[in-house]
Amino acid sequence: MEIEKLEGVTVISTDERLDAMIAPKLKEMVKKMSEEASTKLVIDLGKTKFIDSSGCGALVAALRTLLKNHGDLKIARPSPQAKTLFQLTRLHRVFEIHDNLDDAIKSFDK
Amino acid sequence: MGQELYIKIEVKAEIFLLRPLDIFVRNLVKQLPAFSSDQDTVDSIELAFNEAYANISRHAYKSGVKGPVQIEIFVKDRMLEIRLEDNGENFNPTEVKEPDFQNLGESGLGIWLMKQFMDDLVYESGERGQNVLRLIKRIPDEKMSWSVGCS
Repeated sequence: MEIEKLEGVTVISTDERLDAMIAPKLKEMVKKMSEEASTKLVIDLGKTKFIDSSGCGALVAALRTLLKNHGDLKIARPSPQAKTLFQLTRLHRVFEIHDNLDDAIKSFDK
Repeated sequence: MGQELYIKIEVKAEIFLLRPLDIFVRNLVKQLPAFSSDQDTVDSIELAFNEAYANISRHAYKSGVKGPVQIEIFVKDRMLEIRLEDNGENFNPTEVKEPDFQNLGESGLGIWLMKQFMDDLVYESGERGQNVLRLIKRIPDEKMSWSVGCS
């Protein structure tokens, strides 16, 4: 996973797989990040071809942790497999999802 | 109809084997003519296997010492079946309640996803009390005009 800051927004780019092997690391990363109040975070799934229930769980945990500390989370560039999973689990109603990374970053200005 | 494919793997139920096994299953299914042009079904079978193996690896053996998990993959009678067998604590995933989608937690989706993505999810308690989980995908008639030639 890679982290960068773009226009005041933290972007975590996940690797090819967001599964049970990496989900705990993502949760821990976001927990540390959320110690700073009002963290704006985009999770960029552009490289992620496969996501499982643990990956979805880590995204839910990340959103909850950030909201508790007045931050927010947006999802960018989910693959078709991730979109199918989000729709099936109704997570597309929970997350704000963008097909483009720039749009996800700029959405914090609105 | 005879058996067109049979593979058996036995490993310790270690979580670090999740990815290599998952990728093996995906690539195997992709090679089968019945599924080779059906990306969505390949994704479905991969996800179901991933959830099943991850559950066994994390929950079956509570003592800390990981026991075995036996994975059998076969094509027979117009069905692809992935059968996972472990000697851990008895657990019937088919009895797990549906997740609360109004208040989705950080876990509890895996079994429900297996049910969504496979045609059948069958649990059996084996003769020695082992857990046997069968993930079944039916092969439509029009995709049956092939034979892998293994037995």
